[in-house]
Amino acid sequence: MPADTHCPYCALQCAMTLTPEPITRPGSASVAGRDFPTNRGGLCKKGWTSVELLDSPERITRPLVRQGDGTFAEVSWPDALDLVATTVASSRARFGADSVAVFGGGGLTNEKAYQLGKFARLALGTSRIDYNGRFCMSSAAAAGNRAFGIDRGLPFPVEDLDQADTILLLGSNVAATMPPFIGHLAGARERGGLVVVDPRRSATAKLTDDGAGIHLQAAPGSDLVLLLGLTHIVFAKGLADLDYLASRTTGADALRRSTNAWWPERVQARTGVPAGQLRAVARRLARGRGSYILTGRGVEQHVDGTDTATAAINLALVLGLVGRRGSGYGTMTGQGNGQGGREHGQKCDQLPGYRKISDPDAREHVARVWGVDPSVIPGPGLPAVELLNELGELGGVRCLLVHGSNVVVSAPDVEHVRRGLATLDLLVVCDFFFSETAALADVVLPVTQWAEEEGTMTSLEGRVLRRRRALEAPAEVRSELWILQELARRLGAPGEYSSDPAVVFDELARASAGGLADYSGLSHELLDTGIAAYWPFAPGSEGTPRLFLDRFAHPDGLARIVDVAPAPSEEAPQQGGVLTLITGRLLEHYQSGAQTRRVPELARAQPEARVQIHPATAAGLGIVDGEVVELSNVRGTVRCRAELTADIRHDTVFLPFHFAGVECANILTERATDPVSGMPEFKRTRVRLVASERVVADA
Amino acid sequence: MREHEGAGAPPMHVVLVGFGPVGARFVEELLDAVRSGVVRLTVLGAEAHDPYNRVLLAEYAVGRAERERLDLLDTAAAVRAGVDVRLGEIAAAIDRERQEVRLASGGSVRYDRLVLATGARANVPTLVGLEGARRERGAAPDRGRVTGAGSADTGGGPDISRGAAAAAVLDSGRSPLPPGVVVLRDLADAEVVRSAIHDSRRVVVLGAGVLGMELALAVAEQGAEVVVVHHGDIPMARNLDRGGGRLLSRAARSAGVAVVAHARAETLLLRDGRKGERRFDALGCADGKVIPGDLLVLSCGVGARTELAEGAGLAVAAGILVDEELRSWTDPDVFAIGDCAQVADPAAGADGVRSGVIRMPGAPSGLIGPGWRQADWLARTFASEATALERPPLLPPERPAVVMLKAEGVDVVSGGDISAELWDEEPAGHADSCRREITQWADPARGSYLKLITRGGVVEGFVSVGLARAGAELTLLFERGSEVPSDRSVLLRLDAAGEPVTASDPLAPDATVCWCNGVSVQSVVDAGAAGDGSVACVSAATRAGTGCGGCKGRIAEILASAALVAARPLAAPFAG
Repeated sequence: MPADTHCPYCALQCAMTLTPEPITRPGSASVAGRDFPTNRGGLCKKGWTSVELLDSPERITRPLVRQGDGTFAEVSWPDALDLVATTVASSRARFGADSVAVFGGGGLTNEKAYQLGKFARLALGTSRIDYNGRFCMSSAAAAGNRAFGIDRGLPFPVEDLDQADTILLLGSNVAATMPPFIGHLAGARERGGLVVVDPRRSATAKLTDDGAGIHLQAAPGSDLVLLLGLTHIVFAKGLADLDYLASRTTGADALRRSTNAWWPERVQARTGVPAGQLRAVARRLARGRGSYILTGRGVEQHVDGTDTATAAINLALVLGLVGRRGSGYGTMTGQGNGQGGREHGQKCDQLPGYRKISDPDAREHVARVWGVDPSVIPGPGLPAVELLNELGELGGVRCLLVHGSNVVVSAPDVEHVRRGLATLDLLVVCDFFFSETAALADVVLPVTQWAEEEGTMTSLEGRVLRRRRALEAPAEVRSELWILQELARRLGAPGEYSSDPAVVFDELARASAGGLADYSGLSHELLDTGIAAYWPFAPGSEGTPRLFLDRFAHPDGLARIVDVAPAPSEEAPQQGGVLTLITGRLLEHYQSGAQTRRVPELARAQPEARVQIHPATAAGLGIVDGEVVELSNVRGTVRCRAELTADIRHDTVFLPFHFAGVECANILTERATDPVSGMPEFKRTRVRLVASERVVADA
Repeated sequence: MREHEGAGAPPMHVVLVGFGPVGARFVEELLDAVRSGVVRLTVLGAEAHDPYNRVLLAEYAVGRAERERLDLLDTAAAVRAGVDVRLGEIAAAIDRERQEVRLASGGSVRYDRLVLATGARANVPTLVGLEGARRERGAAPDRGRVTGAGSADTGGGPDISRGAAAAAVLDSGRSPLPPGVVVLRDLADAEVVRSAIHDSRRVVVLGAGVLGMELALAVAEQGAEVVVVHHGDIPMARNLDRGGGRLLSRAARSAGVAVVAHARAETLLLRDGRKGERRFDALGCADGKVIPGDLLVLSCGVGARTELAEGAGLAVAAGILVDEELRSWTDPDVFAIGDCAQVADPAAGADGVRSGVIRMPGAPSGLIGPGWRQADWLARTFASEATALERPPLLPPERPAVVMLKAEGVDVVSGGDISAELWDEEPAGHADSCRREITQWADPARGSYLKLITRGGVVEGFVSVGLARAGAELTLLFERGSEVPSDRSVLLRLDAAGEPVTASDPLAPDATVCWCNGVSVQSVVDAGAAGDGSVACVSAATRAGTGCGGCKGRIAEILASAALVAARPLAAPFAG
């Protein structure tokens, strides 16, 4: 039977239909795009080839346990689960509950993310749970919560963008990361109103060619200053919506004063973007009301990512765009369930429904749903980078359970993470492939893929979608809900742990009731009727396609304009091959590449990491196209081929982060984090670039 | 220096003289320390206004910006935090022995630390008719005059408040500027210019430095008649070379600014005004030229306000001499920041001071950036001392300044030392790797000009006119001390009319047609040839067009042109 479901990859969650092919290709399916407002029947290369993963010969099909000689042996499920349960129980008894940690993922269904948070708090009793969304959406989430009192990536349906007059897109290469999305940019492009801010002339930046808009090629990490400059111009030219500021926001006056100090020429000196372009963009944004401001990871993955996203929100507020039909601010969520994954308790400081774990009322409510005393729920834990820093430290984490994440590729400073993992008493990885992190594990548990499971995902627009089973998983493969149920039973955990996604969803809905991300009016059954379910969705309501039309989520209903300022400019000179490294994605690959590198068609198209270098920079360093080069800093060295392109700034290099081993971009990134969000600095890394042959010659 | 006592001691009392943009930044950065009670802060501001951003004064003066745009500090919030702000209050003298500032209005304020942020005043040139208005160097603020009536009816402007009058007195000479003549230094001046432009009068700007040019361009943009008068060959001669200056002149003229070069202004010609006052009529030049107008704006540079320091016996050269910690050479409890401060090494300068010939680096730049950095640093240092925290690291020496003309549609920026000419030889002694290199591009007909002076690939000086992106990029590289691309033409190509930088043929075989599925032109052509040549068959074979669908039109175009190419051999015999 064909199953109507959604793509396994990114947050656009393109609708697809999977049809099992029991005769021609047992264990797999054929895929077709399905008409839906987000993708309108289209799929990108990743979606079209996603079924290759189902019957991949590399699939893990039985539980594996590392042996004394370092090899893995297949074991039975009871043996594997007993081993995990005994080890974590003894660790808890000897070293305390916080010696066991959980690392989740933004690709897990809402049901799994919810159950994982509950399992950590109740079955393990640990506060140490966080997830890879910390590396993805945390800054935008923090900025959204601070400004609006709520964090939903796009507070409006994606198709609202079709009518836009102007779209300012900062730090997002959607043409490569979620290609079907660019259909929603077509209207703004036709009207000449697509503005892309990126240090690269990326595929998305090229969409501004031929009069479709303008590309601002700002220096890496200068978005905050650029946004202050645009805000300055809006105030200066009398383009601010003063009535809106007075009736719907607080803090505008302090912002006006502080941005008074960022006149265009001063901004030009810090960003490399001419004052004339800044003025043109500010005027364009203020022309009518059909303007949207969208941010991506290029803006947010910085130690000042929260403040930078806040500056984008401030600009949107000053223009009066937010909470009005036909205009707005949004952040482009990355991972498949990056939205739902950040709402239901995977975050270290959070309980289901986007509740704060430190809020007594929230604890009371959730404890009641869980059937426990609020006092048994641990307090806030540590955000991802700090959690990983604790691995093997005295009094730190000794056992780690990893779900839907490949931390030795995706975390900053991966060599440090690798050393931390090596010190653990127990590393358990749930995955369907032998990812680089699974390869380091003591126990690897094979789990179901998207086409083999039921559940829900919440897309980048805050719409709750049904994931449906198209075919049976291989015999010895289990769902994570079942694994958590079995482990909870062995650990004697309080509360219920159903392995039925519909039942877990109903519990999630109750736990989220009255929270910011309220799913309480939803069920699998209701979702199966095909309703467009945007949260918050209280019982009897029709959901909330557009947030903020009447009020923001702060108690007084007003948006907060938080005055932000850049750190003093202390950029060290870039000379002699010292360049700024930025990282990002390719069309063909997704996240750490654990899946897409195993799809032959995608791997053929992009088999290895290539670092993008400007030809003039390469010429100065004696580097030719296709040559092997080395990028180094104090944390390590990446070796990969050079790809010369005039599309990148001459002082910047770009490396995709989908690759492992010596090609892993995160060998070079550092563990410094944003003080508000815990986001690492991924996109402003100093590296030295040399031709690889030259290293040999020098040595 | 007397160390401030730690916990339990009374709060350190800081007195700030001067409440311009630099003083305001200092207050802002010290607010937390004031709130927490470890620092007491008293501010003496000569003007009656809250501090405002002088950098944007010209825009206000021409009516391009509203008054709110000049706001910097929320003074009410500062007062709520506990800062004692006294507006319209002039510091008349410093008694360093008793650590007191005497006020022009009588009374005095004691200090533990004194910070001078007195800024600079506009120079009044030597012109016949302006003798009395020129300020004698070192003249002390005069109490008698301060309390007197408003002294400057500057011709048709709005009423000037007591504070503004007091501030004006700070800078005026024995007699006020005649009506119709202003410098553009404070809000009161700006009001005069604003009303003149509003009445569409003819404005004469004397001096073509960056401020003079900005004002003239802004006036022209507002539709008033304006003429800039300067000596020498080119405007902005301190910042531009001949090529850049010539182009700026041309750009200014086409923007509606009349430019009179090689003019040596000598005389102020006056006429009777409506109220019988003798007011500005025209500027007389040495060569006999007479330049008439209704308003003369003097834009002849600025000089540090140092008289308070001099009167107190503090070492002064072009500005108040301070060491790298911004502390007066003479008194460890006195500091200076911003346009009144000259940062120089006391050891290097001691000889000069003794001999009375004081010429040394570190003279105030007149730019806001260094002043703000000094204010930030000094405030953080005071706060750290008062709370026994670690001091911030010393400020790095200021890099040579970048000067950017703030004008819409005229892109002029320069930085560093631009004196070297294209074929100049350097004295021997430099290794090849760090020899000076000069790059130049000039296209006067299209209004673009670039000169770039580098050493070891790092910019020492540059001029960029009419090249918006190259200018912006060079500013960034110069301020960071980063290398320029080895192929200098990369910079020029940033402004190439037909972006993309590397013009790629959209029909080249390897050009991407379908972004969603990464399908090339060649793949589309091949799939079309293998199938029935329809878009649908190409989509089925390659998935091109099956993502966002935006490329279906292009696929059809490619198929059509491929079909033409395929058809051509048949047509060839008839074409011959």
